[in-house]
Amino acid sequence: MLPVERVIGEEGLRAVDGDLVLACRLPWYRSLPFSTVEFASLAIDGQPVDLAQAQVEFDGNRWPMGDNGEKVDTFWFVRDSAFLILPGVALAPGSEHEVALTINVNPPYIPGMKRMNPQVESLRVEG
Amino acid sequence: MNTATGPQTGVTLYSFTNEWLTRQFDLDSLLREVARRGLGPNIEVIGFQSFREFPDVSDEFAAQFRDLVAELGLNPVSCAINSDRFLKPGQQPIDDAALVEYHKRQLRSAKKMGFSLVRYQFALPVELLPQIAPYAEELDVKMGVEVHAPMWAGHPAVQAYGEMYDKLDTPYLGWIPDFGGTASRIPESMLHAARKAGAAESLLDKLKEVWLEDGMSHEKAGRLREWALANGHAPLHIQAASLAFFILANHDPRSWASMVDRTVHIHGKFYGVGEDLVEEAIDYDTILPLFKQGGFTGTMVSEWEGHAYDTRDAFVQVERHQAMARRIWGD
Repeated sequence: MLPVERVIGEEGLRAVDGDLVLACRLPWYRSLPFSTVEFASLAIDGQPVDLAQAQVEFDGNRWPMGDNGEKVDTFWFVRDSAFLILPGVALAPGSEHEVALTINVNPPYIPGMKRMNPQVESLRVEG
Repeated sequence: MNTATGPQTGVTLYSFTNEWLTRQFDLDSLLREVARRGLGPNIEVIGFQSFREFPDVSDEFAAQFRDLVAELGLNPVSCAINSDRFLKPGQQPIDDAALVEYHKRQLRSAKKMGFSLVRYQFALPVELLPQIAPYAEELDVKMGVEVHAPMWAGHPAVQAYGEMYDKLDTPYLGWIPDFGGTASRIPESMLHAARKAGAAESLLDKLKEVWLEDGMSHEKAGRLREWALANGHAPLHIQAASLAFFILANHDPRSWASMVDRTVHIHGKFYGVGEDLVEEAIDYDTILPLFKQGGFTGTMVSEWEGHAYDTRDAFVQVERHQAMARRIWGD
């Protein structure tokens, strides 16, 4: 990643109605369609999190993460966070956790290029 | 209306990528800062970097943008658009009709916001130009294809575009030189960043050697990688060192002379201008006179790309780059 790029968003981790919500940033210099972005892996406190039921929320819309590949005309504005929603993942508000997130980017004008962007950060769960 | 008799200076907001990504500025405050520091009036904006609604901006947003730049006395010269063909990784590119429409959407948005030209990319297959150029003419928006490293005047893709330009024969199509393709050396600041990332001096010496060799960028990067792995360098250090292959090439700076006639706009790519007003890697003293002597009266926007490895103050860098251009071109 470039010096200021990040994949874990400034808004961090929140517990909302029994779900866990993780803020994510796009590690690229410009907005990209969600179809070219992969939420490749997530681990909390060293334990891989199953993303099969995960959802993505951006700009007031929410969809199953599995639909990302079809989102060719939904652009992730590079200055904004998207949110990964993890249904049923319960973490106590106020508790602190090591979050390891990898987001892959496939720039749509550079065929065959895939950049993997891992980041690990210790986050406190906001209530 | 442009009544200029010589080349103009300006800035692309891309120079402030670090400040943008770290949310130190939003679009309104960034444009205000550019105006306050006198870095305009000519500006370039990457549609997909700065406009939340891109590629289809609403009339309301376009009106707000036009009002803001008018208030600030800025001149929206160039909107950079993208040729995104590979929307589904690992699958076939989108079909030609969709790609043509993708360009038209961005052209329409650029026009609405008051830009007089767009930067487009060689990722657009040249045979589709006849379907797009008439639309640009209809909108009265020029299109300049960005000649970015590893491209340069002698590259086959540039020659193919040149032939199509001859055939279509319209003032609405032209070149946007990006001087990274004719760097004289790897910027010391880039080498320093690789050093800070842990790259050993022996790896950087080899990088400098391979970078000057003939061949395609990815071949040269492969050559360095092979040597470095065999000599015990870590993959992360090799990655830090290899950035140079992908954003810089060392073709002859005088080669731009053959492109001046069709140049509609310039990306003044740079990495570091010192207090002596000299760029550390790109020979502006050779390049810029070619454009003035050739009668270019468009804009060179200062494009600081040091942010790819460095967090220096971009505003100071742009100020110095513009001062350098004034030193060479004269006021």
